[in-house]
Amino acid sequence: MPSATVNNHRPSELLSRLASAEPEVKVRALREVKNQIIGNRTKKLSFLNIGAAPAVADILANSFDDVIANNCNNNNINNILIQSAAVLGSFACGFDAGVQAVLDAGAFPNLLRLLANSNEKVVDAGARALKMIYQSKLAPKYDFLQQKNMEFLISLLNSENENVSGLGASIITHSCETSLEQKALFDAGILRKLNSFLEGGSLSQRDASLESLASILKNNSEVILKFSGPEIGRPLSSVIDLAKNRYPRTRLLACMCLIVIRNTSPHFLQDVGIKTKLIRILLELLDDPGQVGDEAPFAFSSLIAQKEDLQKLALEANAIDKLHHHLQKGSLHPRRYEGILLALADMCSKLESCRSKFISLQVLNLVTDALTDDNADVRTAACICLKSVTRSIKNLSAGYFMNEIIVIPLVQLFLDPSTSVQVAALAAISNIVVDFTTFKSIFVQCGGMKQLVQLAKSIESAVRSNALWALKNFVFLADNRLKEGVFSELTASLLSSLICDPEPSVQEQALALVRNLVDGCINSIEFVFAEDGLILGAIGRQLQSASKAEIGIQGMYALCNVASGNEFHKEAVMHQLFPLVGDKNQSFMSKFLQSNDSQLCTATVWTIVNLTCPSSPGASRRLEKLRNTGIVSQIKNMVNDPCVDVKC
Amino acid sequence: MASSKKLITREEWEKRLKDVKIMKEDMNKLMMNFLVTEGYVEAAEKFRMESETEPDIDLATITDRMAVKKAVQCGNVEKVNDLNPEILDTNPQLLFHLQQQRLIELIRNGKVEEALEFAQEELAPRGEENQSILEELERTVSLLAFEDVSNCPVGELLDVSQRLKTASEVNAAILTSQSHEKDPKLPSLLKMLIWAQNQLDEEAAYPGINDFSNATLEDRAV
Repeated sequence: MPSATVNNHRPSELLSRLASAEPEVKVRALREVKNQIIGNRTKKLSFLNIGAAPAVADILANSFDDVIANNCNNNNINNILIQSAAVLGSFACGFDAGVQAVLDAGAFPNLLRLLANSNEKVVDAGARALKMIYQSKLAPKYDFLQQKNMEFLISLLNSENENVSGLGASIITHSCETSLEQKALFDAGILRKLNSFLEGGSLSQRDASLESLASILKNNSEVILKFSGPEIGRPLSSVIDLAKNRYPRTRLLACMCLIVIRNTSPHFLQDVGIKTKLIRILLELLDDPGQVGDEAPFAFSSLIAQKEDLQKLALEANAIDKLHHHLQKGSLHPRRYEGILLALADMCSKLESCRSKFISLQVLNLVTDALTDDNADVRTAACICLKSVTRSIKNLSAGYFMNEIIVIPLVQLFLDPSTSVQVAALAAISNIVVDFTTFKSIFVQCGGMKQLVQLAKSIESAVRSNALWALKNFVFLADNRLKEGVFSELTASLLSSLICDPEPSVQEQALALVRNLVDGCINSIEFVFAEDGLILGAIGRQLQSASKAEIGIQGMYALCNVASGNEFHKEAVMHQLFPLVGDKNQSFMSKFLQSNDSQLCTATVWTIVNLTCPSSPGASRRLEKLRNTGIVSQIKNMVNDPCVDVKC
Repeated sequence: MASSKKLITREEWEKRLKDVKIMKEDMNKLMMNFLVTEGYVEAAEKFRMESETEPDIDLATITDRMAVKKAVQCGNVEKVNDLNPEILDTNPQLLFHLQQQRLIELIRNGKVEEALEFAQEELAPRGEENQSILEELERTVSLLAFEDVSNCPVGELLDVSQRLKTASEVNAAILTSQSHEKDPKLPSLLKMLIWAQNQLDEEAAYPGINDFSNATLEDRAV
């Protein structure tokens, strides 16, 4: 056999040899395909493209007949089974296109049949291939609720063969979804079995069990309660012990399991000791150079997200320093990069102390670098991180963020091919443009404002709504010149059509934008009258058919601001509120006043106050009209309203 | 400083040592663990017969593993894939090191054309798929640029040590895939001993072990 020669067997040639009638030729060809494709995504793709999956699946299928017919050539047949299973498994390994091809070729049921074979190596090959398939989202859904299937699963878990029991655990991890399934698995005694693996199993069995446990316990407080009860032993402590295991992957999986338990049933794992331990272990796992270190920041995020107490503990454990340290290392695997950025985002999402730490360490520079990374998920994560950090009012008002280093790359991301990046960038900018100083001109200069208006016309509703949000913040307390700039770019017709946008979230933001536009000096009110009162009319129409309270609130405040103007303005508002002369039907004003939402009531009352303030000439006339529609008596009743704002 | 340390004479030390009980079975197990993990299958077999100590893994698997180790020394991946196709499919670093070894062997044997073709066909795509591999790849390929390979800056790649490093990596990967500990216990014991002696050095003067190959009791080298 030639030593170490380059493979000059082209895929097509190998494929034709696969079709040979001679078993030995077949086995050699299969083996060679296997050796060419293992670890080589490019080769996997080229073989798949010439139909290798169906070819090998057929060989597997046909071999079963031979197994029954031919007892003497057992060795060759077993080799064919082993090699074809290995090839199919390799196609499926970490490669969705491969999984799809293997499933489409109908190989799945035959791979299952291999598990019953008497030859241990054949069973191994089948189990491995199936495990690869089950690691993909494309794997067929396993119906746990069918008795037969549950029994089969139990037989897998009880097998002496580690590949087979590992397959059983894999199926649970990837197919268990509903609480019904979780309960069924519990009732069938699966948790007990998994727990036995935790305490007495091998390394791979322990790891597999931890993953399966997490999927059975997730979001199911009932099962968790039973799990930690006395019937099963002391499984919770087993898991806690494994969090200190010598193998990094085991530690990570144990932590993830504990986090699932904690997030579902918060009264478990409450004491400071365990919280601190979890934080410390996860931060240490960041040091792992491999996949464990890549996944650790995600687990950390799931632990601390939305939880101030944990964020505080993490801050004390120097989490931000450590995350910063890892960011500094550079040339990070994209998954790790994304994870660290999201972890920082979660840390800074609520606590000013964390944001201060972040800024003092000058992590910002590294995060802005990530805005231009090749990987879309990394860019999104960087934007999300910026969104968290820019919630710092102290630094916003110091104008810390409104500078070219941050704003320009963010604005460039408005044109990013990925929608999630666009949306995240818009969210980050929304905070920055609230800037209380007068640095807003930088944003206009780099074309940011024009970009936002463009994005307000996007076909994606999330992009439209976030763009409007950013514009709304941008014009907040801005001077009239700035507002005029925005308005002339936006145009009255666009704004009015956005007010009537099919998506409620877009309507809400558009109305909020108008509210901010007309707030302030009396000249700003003219915006709603442009082009024959397009916008004012749109507001009125939208308030008639407001689908949720928030829309009503913004619209009402917008009208309220208009009503703070002169006579002409007030009359125009009245016209919107009561469009038909002598209309006896309940105006939306009454509805709003009766609403449970106190903000809505308040906004409506303020509008009325503005309309009827005694200093303006037509006030009594308007008051009369309001009295006629019963609004005044409604308000009199509200004097006793429990909500303080409304009372005033 | 030395006077504040407690002095323990050799007699006293040896007396204390005598009082420490250890079991022969434990030592046999450690021995077996070492032979098995390192892959000395014949020695393990003989030792098993003579000491009646049971290995904690099937000796047959060691034979497989050693065959793989040997094949791997020239960069042959096929035997690893026969043993367990998952190992190289899920371990890009290891796969790269094996292929790197193959490239090195081609260059060592002067097969420049083949080496170039191999680098282009097999290794370049790996580098594209995986940035961290790129640097090592470039180093290896640069071997081709030198006339006198044994004396060039990257000459160490041709060393036996490189081969052994890769073989050791494969050995560890196989052991892990078999759910076996990849490190023997004996080195950990020695490390523990070194640590304990260092700790004790701060408190006492006593006869310790300085040379681990003969393990005789001597005065501790200060």
